[in-house]
Amino acid sequence: MYFESVGNTAGGRKIELVTDDEGEKPDEALKKARKMVEQDQVDLVAGIVSSGVAAAVRGFFDETQSVLIIANAGANALTRAAKSKYIFRTSFSNWQPNWPMGAWAYENVGKKALISVPDYGAGADMLKAFEFAFKAAGGTVVEKQLTPFPNMGDPAPFITQISNAKVDFVYAFYSGAAATTFVKAYGSFGLAGKLPLVGAGFLVEQDVLPSQGDAALGVKSGLHWALTLDNAVNKKFVDDFKKRTTKEANVFAVQGYDTARLIVDSVNAVQGNTKDKAKWIEAIGGVSFDGPRGKFKMDPKTNNVVQSIYARDVKKVGDTLQNVVVKNFGEIADPGDDSKG
Amino acid sequence: MPLDILVIQLLNGLVFSLLLFLMAAGLSLILGLMDVVNLAHGGFYLFGGYIGLTMIRWFGSFWLALLIAPLVAGALGLLLQVWFLRRLQSRHLDQVLFTFGLALIAADMLRWYWGAYVESVPPPPELDGSVLIMGRQFPVYRLSLIFFGAIVGVALMVLLDYTRIGAIVRAGVSDSELVSGLGINIDWVFVGVFVLGTALAALAGVAAGPITNLYPGLDFEILILALVVVVIGGLGTLRGALLGSILVGMTETLGKAFIPEFSLFVIFALMALVLLVRPRGLLGQKEA
Repeated sequence: MYFESVGNTAGGRKIELVTDDEGEKPDEALKKARKMVEQDQVDLVAGIVSSGVAAAVRGFFDETQSVLIIANAGANALTRAAKSKYIFRTSFSNWQPNWPMGAWAYENVGKKALISVPDYGAGADMLKAFEFAFKAAGGTVVEKQLTPFPNMGDPAPFITQISNAKVDFVYAFYSGAAATTFVKAYGSFGLAGKLPLVGAGFLVEQDVLPSQGDAALGVKSGLHWALTLDNAVNKKFVDDFKKRTTKEANVFAVQGYDTARLIVDSVNAVQGNTKDKAKWIEAIGGVSFDGPRGKFKMDPKTNNVVQSIYARDVKKVGDTLQNVVVKNFGEIADPGDDSKG
Repeated sequence: MPLDILVIQLLNGLVFSLLLFLMAAGLSLILGLMDVVNLAHGGFYLFGGYIGLTMIRWFGSFWLALLIAPLVAGALGLLLQVWFLRRLQSRHLDQVLFTFGLALIAADMLRWYWGAYVESVPPPPELDGSVLIMGRQFPVYRLSLIFFGAIVGVALMVLLDYTRIGAIVRAGVSDSELVSGLGINIDWVFVGVFVLGTALAALAGVAAGPITNLYPGLDFEILILALVVVVIGGLGTLRGALLGSILVGMTETLGKAFIPEFSLFVIFALMALVLLVRPRGLLGQKEA
């Protein structure tokens, strides 16, 4: 969508797209990335949904000094211990949406929490960030529930265990189908509205919210975007997206849109000369603009995006459920190491 | 663990067991009576679920969806059996490959038509509430699944064990030539079994929809669960499938409640154990 809006050109050059599906197998994805760089001679590769895939291709991009722009995979390590000069991230580090929620939840929701996350890398990253900030604010984590990944299966046993916990609220990270399964069961076992549910924004993001129904009402979550975010760029983006796809935009679409803009802006800055890698990389690191999520800028220290994080609350607006922004935490930059969770 | 929580967890286990039985019954039936491992079983399940969802959206009735989805899936099963599967009779590897290919095609077609987002199925309004059990809320729909699963199970057992049709099918399994000699068209018996098996998969897809939701990838999750149940219970016995369902359902639920970190692994440990002790499965007559 963004490429079209600039006439498919950047720095006087035509933008050519070579696309492929990264799949779910890291070694297959590596082969595909190798083909794109070596055979198709692309200037850069953008995408990568899964952190597993990102970890597998990281070495290849670092060694061959090829540019990779990660548009989703959130593993903290990718812009911390395993960061590379040639790898940038426009989406988020798992730490970012969770850390500000720690102090916020302590002040606004409760002092004692149960944390429920899927038992894999992203779950661990998100849990750690929230726990660190929540404890630093004075909160207590009474129980941690690690659920099977990728398939939670029947969520009933987990929800029943939660109903037995003596806590003020539940903090959870689930996304996709698991988010809907979890939130709906939370409602059908009568916990919704009684025991507050707080979490990383993916829990109630636009891709799953319509399927969750009223069980999602009142769920509070932190994320780097919200459909209802009140700024001109976002309004236009949401409108354009709806016209094109007939669906509401979601955070993943925003990440793709901003990634395209980062590519165009950085190639413009070097007048299309992507062969001078050092200059181009410097230009990518210097990109900054007002996007749908507010101010977007790269952090040259970590190559991770610096962005606002918003606390959101699911409310009924008209007859649809929407994430209404209740607080803007301002610009949040990943610390670049594990010192803050 | 307080008593009320334990009771609720046991109830969760029972609900999940019956859910598993619904999911596995069709697979068990086809495997037992036709000797075909239908790897597209999960595909039929998801297809049934989606058809049900569309029916609910069109006509606003869950019950109608529960009726129509199995009919549509059964009709598809009929065509597949008559056009393709029948030609592969007693060629096991070819059958497995065929149904696996079918599963992959189904997965892509379902994603193409119904999209990649997760869709939830609303339970019928009459059953969309909760009751208090020992002071804790429990969804009525889950409770009703216990009864629904039991009714389906009893109906199938009566059909197979106490009716003429059941007798013909069972006779066809043990000696198909003899049955043909009696003037019964054995081909059509097998067609009937395949149609019933696929219709059952679709029925499960609708009935379980409000619990599992519908999304790409669910088909293979269901297939694996159903295979585990069938292997543990014993190939091709409906009673075995029921026993396997209860064992797997209880083990998985209590595993999730007490040792959540290992819950993914406990049912496979159970399966390995059963295979070591009884390679035929608990009630199976044939080698796994």
